[in-house]
Amino acid sequence: MITARSKDYFSFLGLPRKLNIDMADLEKRFRALSRQFHPDYFVNAPAAERRHSLEQSSYLNDAYRTLKNPAARLEYLLGLEGLALKGPQEASQAVPPALLEEVFALNEELDDIRAERAAGAAVEQLKARLVRARAPIDAKREEHEAQVAQLSARWDAHVDGGGDPEQGREILVALRERMLERSYINNLLAGIERELTM
Amino acid sequence: MSKVVGIDLGTTNSLVAYVHEAKPVVIRDANGDGLVPSVVSASEDGTIYVGREAQRRLLTDAGRTVYSVKRFMGKGIADVTDEARLLPFRVTGDAAQAAQGGGIVRIGLGEREFTPPEISAFILRELKRRAEAHFAAEGDIDPEVDRAVITVPAYFNDAQRTATRDAGRIAGLEVLRIINEPTAASLAYGLDKRHSGIIAVYDFGGGTFDISILRVEDGVFQVLATNGDTHLGGDDIDQLLMKRVLDRSGASGRAPSAEEVQEIRQAVIRAKLDLSEHDEADLVGVKMTRSELDALIRPIIERTLGPCRQALADAQLGPGEIDEVVLVGGSTRIPLVRHLVAELFGRAPHSELNPDEVVALGAAVQADILVTGNREMLLLDVTPLSLGIETMGGVTSKIIMRNSTIPATGSETFTTGVDNQTAVDVHVLQGERELVADNRSLARFKLRGIPPMPAGMPRVHVQFQIDANGILSVTATELRTDIEQTIEVKPSYGLTDDEVERMLLESFEYAEADFAARLLIDARNDAENVIMATEKSLRAPEYAEVAAELKPGERSQIDAALADLKSAVGLDDREAIQRKTQALNDATRHLAEVMMNRSLQAALGGRNVSDM
Repeated sequence: MITARSKDYFSFLGLPRKLNIDMADLEKRFRALSRQFHPDYFVNAPAAERRHSLEQSSYLNDAYRTLKNPAARLEYLLGLEGLALKGPQEASQAVPPALLEEVFALNEELDDIRAERAAGAAVEQLKARLVRARAPIDAKREEHEAQVAQLSARWDAHVDGGGDPEQGREILVALRERMLERSYINNLLAGIERELTM
Repeated sequence: MSKVVGIDLGTTNSLVAYVHEAKPVVIRDANGDGLVPSVVSASEDGTIYVGREAQRRLLTDAGRTVYSVKRFMGKGIADVTDEARLLPFRVTGDAAQAAQGGGIVRIGLGEREFTPPEISAFILRELKRRAEAHFAAEGDIDPEVDRAVITVPAYFNDAQRTATRDAGRIAGLEVLRIINEPTAASLAYGLDKRHSGIIAVYDFGGGTFDISILRVEDGVFQVLATNGDTHLGGDDIDQLLMKRVLDRSGASGRAPSAEEVQEIRQAVIRAKLDLSEHDEADLVGVKMTRSELDALIRPIIERTLGPCRQALADAQLGPGEIDEVVLVGGSTRIPLVRHLVAELFGRAPHSELNPDEVVALGAAVQADILVTGNREMLLLDVTPLSLGIETMGGVTSKIIMRNSTIPATGSETFTTGVDNQTAVDVHVLQGERELVADNRSLARFKLRGIPPMPAGMPRVHVQFQIDANGILSVTATELRTDIEQTIEVKPSYGLTDDEVERMLLESFEYAEADFAARLLIDARNDAENVIMATEKSLRAPEYAEVAAELKPGERSQIDAALADLKSAVGLDDREAIQRKTQALNDATRHLAEVMMNRSLQAALGGRNVSDM
């Protein structure tokens, strides 16, 4: 019952493997393919056709859901190209080199804050410090988003221009690194949130 | 070719509809009534009554009458104990099963115990019968109805949907599709309006609340997000009002009988309906104003706003981005509801289509799509709740996220913990919380037939499939050997296939109101209608004006015929009832003519025909 090993989400929807997608176009394709495969249209069909319709529409819905979300789309493309992010474990264990400074500074700040809390400092004061500690991480995230956008545009141009496979690979490796960093940054921010609500 | 129908199996009322010459129509009884009260009653001789007749028995035989059974579908005794206290019928559960966290509820109907799907099946059978009678009357060679689309609240979980489908099977119906009520409503509405844009459907019924946000484009009705509360509806408002009345009279000491409670309930419902039209109404002898009602019920209605905001957030839309808001369900007639909905969405909501009938009409349209393969319209719905499995430490690992378009799949790979272990247990849940204990247990699956291997070697790939009905099925394959695994499903709050089969067979044994009893019921209904119409005329202000035109002795003849019929209607002599109904009709014919002329004159009063 394993479906569609030979195809991928992009080709199923008739789209090139690009990172910027026209949403209106995606919706149109999704609707058209839904009309083709949806079980509602196969109620009277023989069992094999009904099974096929169920598989295909499930696959279509997965494809649509994944490609509709920019982060999921990028992660999926990386997986397709053999550069999958491993489980969440790996992503958060090693500190990405680009973030070493920030992580170090944040950990120091958090240690100080915890010490102050233990010594009975005012909650408002502590919260203010946490919010300040957050600022560089937020800034990093924005910088990071800009980089992802830039790299994505370069990848799309590469796909359009039929460029050197080596170059393409370089871009993807860089994107993968950004994805790992993004995971890490999100975890850091989540950690700060937790401290704020304690 | 047997017919296919759409059915709205509601908490308070049920309806059946079909598509006739490209338009959906509700199938009505001889009095033009499309609603069948979702009430079932068992008389002492074992006859089962459904609908208006059953509703009447609430006042004479409350302990043998069941209503709002939809609130019990897919639930265990622990879920319903509180509510069951307020109900006149017996609600029990299997204690041993309940202790293990599960077990289906049982409801007492007369001398017997039934599960909620069986009681719902009585209602479905009545709808089936009504539809078949209609087709036969239309001269159809093959009036049999054995296929249907049945609607459920969008927020119904897997167990509740399966219970509904089981009810259909027990009633002898092939359930072609279970569809969500708001989505069905949007279909009926979309037919009417033929537009595109973002619609919010606010569905507030007798027992459940749903909010669905859809994009309608190019004939495709795509649900973006759905949310709701399957335990929030008009019944809760009724209970609040009843409590007020009972508290007031509680001072007298004696606890009311079940029938008296039902009388109060019906009075409370009448007051509630009156207050939708007027600023004050009589609540069992005490005046209640619209603003007093609003203050009392506001907390209940405000509970609907949280799910609305969550659905908007899940759809990634602000209230201002909704193009149209549609109201569905009888409870949306309450002015405070309309006011709060308009406030939340910043626009006046629509209710041009009858909020009681729109869901059944949509179900009929969907039934037609399924059977004719008409590809003009397509419903793309979503699963309302995340699906997950229990993992180490009592935590839920989500496999399929809520608001995923269905059909949807998700998978997980398991392995064994012990050498040569040949079976693995999987606990499947629905809900958004972290802990297993906070989510809804759906079922426990046992995967058998894993080839004996060292611990940790087998890779059992389990595929979860949510179909177009929103119902889960599971397949599993051991990847190393490629052997498909056998799966034994033990539903937490449902029936096994065997149980459903058995109930279907047993259903043939129940003496439903047979043909003769039906004729008696019809005769009584006709009689009551004529009695009501006559009394209304005699009480009307116009009567004084026309009394002079009656012949001598005519009024006393009317009075005599009226009294005669009233005394006959409670008895079982159908023929006598019909005779006396005819007699009253004859006695009032002249009066009716005279009153008609009078009201025509009043309507035309002073105008020329040429003015009109």
